[in-house]
Amino acid sequence: MDWKHLEMSPKIRAGVRRAKLRSVSDVLCVSGPDLQRLTRLSRSDVQELLTAAATACRRHPPVPALQLLRGECRRLESGLRLSVGCPVLDELLRGGLPVGGVTELSGESGAGKTQLALQLCLSVLYPPQYGGLNSGAVYICTEDSFPIRRLQQLIREQSELRSDVPSSLIRGLRFSDHVYIEHAADLDSLQVCLSRRVPLLLARGLVRLLVVDSVAALFRCEFQAADWLERTKQLLSFSSTLHHLSLEFTTPVLCINQVTNVFDSSGDSLGPLSSNVSPALGLAWANQVMVRLMMRRLHMTVARGDQCSVLRRLEVMFAPHLARDGRNVAVWREGVQGVSDTQTDT
Amino acid sequence: MFCVAEASLYQQEALEAVRREGGGAAVESLTALELLQKEDEELRSIVTFSSQLDAALGGGVQIGKTTEISGGPGVGKTQLCLQLAVDVQVPQCFGGLGGQVVYIDTEGGFLLQRVVDIAAAAVRHCSLLVEDDEQHVAIDTFTVETVLSNMFLVRCHDYVELLAELHLLSDFLSNHPRVRLLVIDSVACPFRKHFDELSQRTRLLNGLAQQLIAMATSHEIAVVITNQMTTRVHGSQSQLVPALGDSWGHAPTTRLLLQWMGPHRLAAIFKSPDHMNSTVQYQITSDGFRDADQSEQPQRKRPRTDTDQSAGHQRDTSC
Repeated sequence: MDWKHLEMSPKIRAGVRRAKLRSVSDVLCVSGPDLQRLTRLSRSDVQELLTAAATACRRHPPVPALQLLRGECRRLESGLRLSVGCPVLDELLRGGLPVGGVTELSGESGAGKTQLALQLCLSVLYPPQYGGLNSGAVYICTEDSFPIRRLQQLIREQSELRSDVPSSLIRGLRFSDHVYIEHAADLDSLQVCLSRRVPLLLARGLVRLLVVDSVAALFRCEFQAADWLERTKQLLSFSSTLHHLSLEFTTPVLCINQVTNVFDSSGDSLGPLSSNVSPALGLAWANQVMVRLMMRRLHMTVARGDQCSVLRRLEVMFAPHLARDGRNVAVWREGVQGVSDTQTDT
Repeated sequence: MFCVAEASLYQQEALEAVRREGGGAAVESLTALELLQKEDEELRSIVTFSSQLDAALGGGVQIGKTTEISGGPGVGKTQLCLQLAVDVQVPQCFGGLGGQVVYIDTEGGFLLQRVVDIAAAAVRHCSLLVEDDEQHVAIDTFTVETVLSNMFLVRCHDYVELLAELHLLSDFLSNHPRVRLLVIDSVACPFRKHFDELSQRTRLLNGLAQQLIAMATSHEIAVVITNQMTTRVHGSQSQLVPALGDSWGHAPTTRLLLQWMGPHRLAAIFKSPDHMNSTVQYQITSDGFRDADQSEQPQRKRPRTDTDQSAGHQRDTSC
């Protein structure tokens, strides 16, 4: 932020020049007495300077939450959710993914994480009345090549999955034009992608969903056990970038994570586990996650028509607005859908 | 080699300082007896809606003091903050404070859906307690809408915005004398990134702590801040401790640690000037922060199974 836009008396302006304060935010990071010494201004002038700088730095004055509820403050709380595209799962998630904050989806390989992520990439294209955000998605692959054939299949079967949406509307959506795919084979290219290309896409309104599949792969392979300090630092910077992008552009961020085996469930645990695995990357990462979901395979299959699927379970581990709960799901040709108990066939 | 203009500036400044210090001291001096009377005559705590935790804290979260809530992700820090933000508004005839709250959200965890849940549950709870006419009148104005209208939300994305907000908050509090609670959820999030130099962070945090303590005393508000956990390595052992370093630990008057013990949630008080260190069990229900169910014996608690889809009327939620 520049000094030119600030309303200040000439005396204070001269003080600022004397102190060689480059940006407005620097004022807030220098202690009061230091500021007085550097600018050689009186205490009341310094207070005035601080107030001017603070007013310039803050985004908005305190807003009563009632205004948010009435939708008078879209910038702070849009009330939007990104629907999963299945009423059973949307009920579990109270509408879908929240638009500000990082959602993590973890599970063993083959649990169906990527399937759910692909489905969200298509769901985001729908207009808000059908649970979408009227925009595209960016999908960053770090592990495997992007499952493009599966995406094509899902696009063909959209009308099957979304029977709530008029088929003319589905035909009008050009799904494959709005899913941007990025490959990041190492941490440096991931960094470049997140700091340059993704903000550009978000700023232009081309996308409003960021998927990283998976976060664990790079952090687990690039560091040796002895480098844990460096790893934590990188992880913190990566997760705060995601957090920042999500809040800045009110965009849902979905991170797919691997799981790790838990051998002793002593006091350090992050909550009761329903199986002997927990999400990878530890506490430094978990601190930045707002909604933590977990998927796992059950030892059952479920059939519907000519299709047959292994039964999975999607569970909410924690979220500020969700109960610890879960739903059984199956992966069909047209996508991931919740399964009610009566359908289950062992 | 002082020029005249500068010397006169110093003189003016010195006079200003003397006036200010002299005036301030006369107001601030209180004998211990007066302080005790002052503390006794006012209701000085915000209840948590968990009677066990209230008892352990000596009535709840104290006005005029700073309380830190730390804990791992998902253990219930945000839930307790939201609960307190609603509880501070309980009308005085129901034993509450009838106050307002400023809620600074740095993590994005303030989700309106959840606030409405907790507010509705608190309103329902109070409406069941109505006995006399005064309470009848009070309950008419204690609705979810009024609860939300007395909750002032600020979202900060980084530490500069947080510092800016705190600087301007003093004026806001002077204009809104009914505010009894300031929540910062969390302090850790903005201060754990973008810092290459730890000394700069420590200095800013110390300044922030001083500011919070001053605000708590001068405006008679309770300050509640949340903190994340971090791993500290001692030789070959590692241990979970609240983040932001040791010097930060001196800032809050009371430190509360929320943690998991198997399937149970525990709240431990581990720093408090006037209460014994103690640990109580709590749960997060769809209504908010509550006492752990006493009827449900821990050893008989059934592990959640695949078919156990709806866990009855009081489902466990988490933050």
